[in-house]
Amino acid sequence: MSSNASHLREHAEHQFAHELDALKAIDTRQRPPNWQLSPWAVVTYLLGGELENGVSISAKYIGNRRLMEIAVATLATDRALLLFGVPGTAKSWVSEHLSAAISGDSTQLIQGTAGTSEEAIRYGWNYAQLLAKGPSMEALVASPMMRAMKQGEIARVEELTRIPADVQDTLITILSEKTLPIPELNSELQASKGFNVIATANNRDKGVNEMSSALRRRFNTVILPPPASLDEEVSIVQQRVESLGKALELPAEKPALEEIRRVVTIFRELRLGVTLDGKTKLKTPSGTLSTAEAISVVTNGIALSAHFGDGQLHGHDLAAGMVGAIVKDPLQDDLVFKEYLETVVKERNDWHDIYRACREVCQ
Amino acid sequence: MTELDSRLHILGVRHHGPGCARALLGALNNLQPDVVIIEGPADAEAVLPQALDLEMKPPVALLIYAPAQPQQCAFYPYAEFSPEWQALQYALKHQLPLRFMDLPQHYQLALRNDEAESLAVQDKQTIRHDPLLLLAQAAGYQESELWWEHLVEQRIDVSDIFTAILEAMSALRQECEQRADWQESKFEQRREAYMRKTIRSALKEGYQRIAVVCGAWHAPALKQMPTVKHDQALLKGLSKQKTQATWGPWTYGRLARKSGYGAGVQAPGWYHHLWHHGGGELTSPSTVTQQWLVKVAQCLRHQGLDISPAHVIEATRLTETLTALRDRAQASLQELNEAITSVLLEGDPSALNLVFNELIISQRLGQVPSTTPTVPLQKDLTQLQKSLRLKVSAYPKDLDLDLRKEIDLARSQLFHRLNLLHIPWAEDIISQQRNRGTFRESWRLCWQPEFSINLIEAAIWGNTIASAATEKTINETKKQLQLDTLAELIQKILFADLPAAMSAAINQLRQRTACSSDIKPMMAALNPLAQTHRYGNVRSTDRHSITQLTQSLITRICIGLNSACSSLDKDAADDMLKQIKDTHAAIALLEEKDNIDTWQQTLLRIADNNHAHPLIQGYCCRTLMDCSIWDANNTAQRLHHALSQARAPEDAAAWVEGFLSDSGVLLLHDELIWPILDNWMNALNQERFIDILPMLRRRFAKFTAAERRQMGEKLRASQIHSTTSQINPAAKLDQERAHAVLPVMIKLLRTSI
Repeated sequence: MSSNASHLREHAEHQFAHELDALKAIDTRQRPPNWQLSPWAVVTYLLGGELENGVSISAKYIGNRRLMEIAVATLATDRALLLFGVPGTAKSWVSEHLSAAISGDSTQLIQGTAGTSEEAIRYGWNYAQLLAKGPSMEALVASPMMRAMKQGEIARVEELTRIPADVQDTLITILSEKTLPIPELNSELQASKGFNVIATANNRDKGVNEMSSALRRRFNTVILPPPASLDEEVSIVQQRVESLGKALELPAEKPALEEIRRVVTIFRELRLGVTLDGKTKLKTPSGTLSTAEAISVVTNGIALSAHFGDGQLHGHDLAAGMVGAIVKDPLQDDLVFKEYLETVVKERNDWHDIYRACREVCQ
Repeated sequence: MTELDSRLHILGVRHHGPGCARALLGALNNLQPDVVIIEGPADAEAVLPQALDLEMKPPVALLIYAPAQPQQCAFYPYAEFSPEWQALQYALKHQLPLRFMDLPQHYQLALRNDEAESLAVQDKQTIRHDPLLLLAQAAGYQESELWWEHLVEQRIDVSDIFTAILEAMSALRQECEQRADWQESKFEQRREAYMRKTIRSALKEGYQRIAVVCGAWHAPALKQMPTVKHDQALLKGLSKQKTQATWGPWTYGRLARKSGYGAGVQAPGWYHHLWHHGGGELTSPSTVTQQWLVKVAQCLRHQGLDISPAHVIEATRLTETLTALRDRAQASLQELNEAITSVLLEGDPSALNLVFNELIISQRLGQVPSTTPTVPLQKDLTQLQKSLRLKVSAYPKDLDLDLRKEIDLARSQLFHRLNLLHIPWAEDIISQQRNRGTFRESWRLCWQPEFSINLIEAAIWGNTIASAATEKTINETKKQLQLDTLAELIQKILFADLPAAMSAAINQLRQRTACSSDIKPMMAALNPLAQTHRYGNVRSTDRHSITQLTQSLITRICIGLNSACSSLDKDAADDMLKQIKDTHAAIALLEEKDNIDTWQQTLLRIADNNHAHPLIQGYCCRTLMDCSIWDANNTAQRLHHALSQARAPEDAAAWVEGFLSDSGVLLLHDELIWPILDNWMNALNQERFIDILPMLRRRFAKFTAAERRQMGEKLRASQIHSTTSQINPAAKLDQERAHAVLPVMIKLLRTSI
């Protein structure tokens, strides 16, 4: 495996290889067994900064330093790490970069789906071999988890709570005993030092499989929060919308910062359950209202204004998309949103256009 | 300037800190001083020996107040881990002479009265407010608390620490003095001058080893002695006020910085733990962590969370790894909280609040000996009793008040305030008497001996009845979870006339209503608020905030009411009907046209909502008719629809019940409704009639006897009317069958025809 320019997307350890090398060169602190970097260097890799030897490390995660410190410290104590949060809070992104920095390899990945089976977590069989030679180590097809155990690396489980509960529990032995029994061969695989698991899960999703408390107990949980400030979120939305607009070749002008600010304000206020001036409390709707959804509302609005409007983004271009994103449950969310319109939006002097547009869509 | 005398040992401390306290004890033991001088008001020296009393249990506060005006006072709270408290105990136990050296409160209180000086006392310069911040920032910390905790409180080797503090603070003060915008206030200069004066007199008396315990900030000023003349000039011409000192119980909650106490600490409970378990040679940093985590686990278990010992083990490991990752020797509260969140609470920090109040702040309440002089609160009450001419007696005595009189209004407010403080000296007996207007109140006074104890307990809330009641009520509003109880409390606050508590309660109510999706409690809350709003000016209260609140309540109710009326069973509908009636009355009381319009629109929607309970629909119809939104024809049409054959008889009966709920007068006088109802009744077949009869009977029994009689008369009249004009003369009336109906009718109307 090596870096290749024709790949649509590079693995983290290839894309940021020079940063990892630079960190390795100056890192003299104590490393846990089989770690490529010391915990301190891993945190620096994630949060970015200037090194003594002049190499600047880009920030992979923008947010609270303490959260990353807890995550790295957890992995150093050989406890498994569970990254929890609403969609669009960079859980998978953090998990990929953590394993790239710690093991130098972010590819030991198990994607959790409703169809993930026990074989995907433990091991499967090469049936031709099995029939020809009977059960043997050669006939066994190792899962990413098994490979990570053998090599002392970090294994990643994406969307853990989408995996059926009984399959999830396969992890319990691996996490507590650090072994993988292979009863068919009357043998077992013991994990090498440096092995650990990072799982990600969604806490706002409906219809997921709750983790059993036995499994839950084996994870340290770190909740990744949505962006902390309005400005931070506005800039994330603006950047993403601009790059998306380019990819979709939308003819509209650059989105007005003012409109983006309004959408983000509405999303933030409803998500946090309080107006930005902190004076009025609000009910929160059942949906996530993540930054990712704000981005899609704005792109949607741009498309509307480009194809049906005057090419400028206005309140009424955003209203339909916004109501659709906020009102997920027609009964409850509708009440919440109407109450918000009447008590907050209506009172704001220069927001009358958006108030009227939303009222029209709501009726 | 004279250099530091070798007999003088300056020990700069932070006011509350276990590490400091421990270091101070060590220093005192080494030094073996022959006199101890502590930064504290000199006029409190008289009550100091009581600190040794066995009944004295910290946290306690030294109270100094002006007996003439108890609201003028100063507190000096001490916890077990306060260095001053330890120094005090050391001196008293070793029977050493003990001095307090701060500017006596009889000057300070007088200074505060002085207009010009009061500005100087409230010094808002940030450096003065948090002098350590500069040093902390220089060391790369964001807050001084953390820096101090890492450097001083959690230090295991404490030798030479006071020399280091002295040097650091000297450097800091030099730096400050060079700044252009820096000016030490006159008030601070006076305090330091007085401290030096006390030290000088101790030197003069010939003590050989003088231990001076003071706030770190003052240490350099006591080391560098200016001339006696300089100090005398500062202290000249100060006016004096009579003061009295006493001890009062204190709580850790009020020691916390959060409670607004300037020199407070962020986590008294944690410091208590550090004082008892940390430091010294016997305990290692990791036992402090373990014991704290075990306490947290037990606390969380009490709250119903499943926490196993395995959790505690893992949390300990994570805490230690985090501490190591941050290059620290000992875990601080920050690491512990992060580990607790991550391991014990599954990443959700909101549950940390459970630990916060119980452990980190801790609700420990101090105790003072029973021989302590009385608290200012008691003094204030005695004074009020005197000025309001109220006699304290153990025999019950009734008192009628006319609130239009000033003295009676003040009395009523006092009674209400005492009740809020749980000192039920006066019992409200209004309910037992009939003759009450808005300006009349009746009370029964009866003093119980245990009230004096209640007073001492209440003393932690404030020094006057008014301020204590305000504080306590504000605290109460934070606990109240139910909207309606909160609204009732608001009414009580109104009677007690506590504006600060009122705004706190209203604020709280506003937040609760915003988060609540259940609109019933909102409706319950509206009525008392409307009353408050309407009659508030009798007691001259600020009504603006109430207006805002009622406004937002009405908006929320109007938005949510329609769906809240759907899918109700009979009992729930009865309940809801009562609330709707109250709300209707409240909105009518407020007399705001906009509100009335929105409310009527809401009622219209409910009347047309097929999922709403018929009882409520009926009521809405009736109300809309009363408000003349619907004319009689329109109403008649609704009634017809509601009572038509397609409806289940129980629904129709419920509708009628709602429709007629207020009085039968409508039925008697409305020429349109009466025949519709009559026709409907006649059209019922036997089965339906039997089904509905109990409900109708119940409904009609609620009318007054006079109304029922009138209805009977009307019915008889219409019967005669119908026999004469409407019945086809060709069809012969079967008198016998007609008479057979009458007994049922009589029973139905419970009257004689």
